[in-house]
Amino acid sequence: MPTIEYKGKTFEVDEDGFLVKGLEEWCQEWVEYVKELEGIEELTEDHWKVINVLQDYFKKNGIAPMVRVLSKVTGYPLKKIYELFPSGPGKGACKMAGLPKPTGCV
Amino acid sequence: MSEKTYDPIYDQPYDPTLAEKLYNPKKPMENRITDIGPPKYDQFFPPVIKKNYGKWVSHEILEPGVLKYKSETGDVVYVVRCGTPRLITTDYIREICDIADKYCDGYVRWTTRNNIEFHVTDEETLRALMDDLKGRKHPGGSYKFPIGGTGASVTNIVHTQGWVHCHTPATDASGVVKAVMDDLFEYFGSHRLPAQVRIALACCLNMCGAVHCSDIAILGIHRKPPLVEDDRITGVCEIPLAIAACPLGAIKPATVEIEGKKIKTVRVNEKRCMFCGNCYTMCPAMPLADGEGDGIAILVGGKVSNRISAPKFSKLVIPYLPNEPPRWPSVVKAIRHILEVYEKHARKYERIGDWIERIGWEKWFELTEIPFTEKSIDDYRLAYDTYRTSTHFKFTNHVAVK
Repeated sequence: MPTIEYKGKTFEVDEDGFLVKGLEEWCQEWVEYVKELEGIEELTEDHWKVINVLQDYFKKNGIAPMVRVLSKVTGYPLKKIYELFPSGPGKGACKMAGLPKPTGCV
Repeated sequence: MSEKTYDPIYDQPYDPTLAEKLYNPKKPMENRITDIGPPKYDQFFPPVIKKNYGKWVSHEILEPGVLKYKSETGDVVYVVRCGTPRLITTDYIREICDIADKYCDGYVRWTTRNNIEFHVTDEETLRALMDDLKGRKHPGGSYKFPIGGTGASVTNIVHTQGWVHCHTPATDASGVVKAVMDDLFEYFGSHRLPAQVRIALACCLNMCGAVHCSDIAILGIHRKPPLVEDDRITGVCEIPLAIAACPLGAIKPATVEIEGKKIKTVRVNEKRCMFCGNCYTMCPAMPLADGEGDGIAILVGGKVSNRISAPKFSKLVIPYLPNEPPRWPSVVKAIRHILEVYEKHARKYERIGDWIERIGWEKWFELTEIPFTEKSIDDYRLAYDTYRTSTHFKFTNHVAVK
């Protein structure tokens, strides 16, 4: 597994750049690292709201929320989520939140 | 293309550096074009197709692989259908384009079974095109553009990714397809079968493509339960998804201790597992591919058309044949055998499924001498409907009469 060094921290990631150990290794630096990757200029409160909802839901349920649940809880329609995270809720927001890589026939 | 096109991008010469010029990784959303969809289909119509769109009167098959369509305007168009391996290089596509430029004014199309079709409007060009196609071969000797696939033939095999690109296969796709089509090549360029025979392959029972509704289906299967990688499952899996992925409820959550740490994981009830691999699709820490365990199952009797009988699902007749790369001789032999028995016994217009339903499954197993195993007996939820609730049956060699 490749590792990424960023601002003095080391992250173990898979080939798509998702954290292999998930929330265990997740921290502020990871968020900033993904922010650069994603071409997000500035992290706003809206970004953090999505990240927090994802993490809370994952801690409580063991899975990432369905897109409709994410929209309903945050109050952001899918279009807005794409505006915040250009790669979308899976590759963008879940990666930044430290959730496991989405699986299935994606 | 002389006529006005819908999409301005096709009026300009292709600029391979354009994407790089437009894309700035620092600002990925700048200059971004999205939601433009595919180009409109009719801008790629050959002029004769465009002119006679919706006016076709009749067609005939002149010879295997060659069709002739007549329009009410009096126009005719000849179509030459060629097999392709589906997985192809840009060099090969360029060669197709060269042929299309030479004979078809640059127009060409692909069929829903990944054959190529060239359109010409006069017989002289048709003959020249066919002679040209027949002469083109790969350095290894195989035809680049074999002509056929029409009428009561075995046309191209709808298939999947296999070991070329997918992570859940139980067998290969391209390799098996090449081996089978080599063996059945005579059926591709002839019309000697009672009806068309559709063969499809899927490398796992996700069944991408058409295996569930094909006359003969080749399906990759596993025979061993998944391994659970406890040391990494928590990080890479959403465990409830893996549990819900199981059609038989064989997976349950568990906690194990590794190096003094309690870790959430799952356990598989191996007696319940039927090796479908759905859990691996959802959870990368549950791999189940196995060199000796994996292999191929053969299903027969499916179809999608409504002609005479309703569409049918294909049914399992050979539960397991080993993976034997690179030529899969057992699979090739089994498929040829099924095809030959069908060719010999079925009536005209009867698809394989129609034929089997007429003679009865017990008679079909007797004719083909394929051993009937308990693996063909359905045991999943709605299985009852597939059992025989009637006294109507024929005595076959499966019944020992004393």
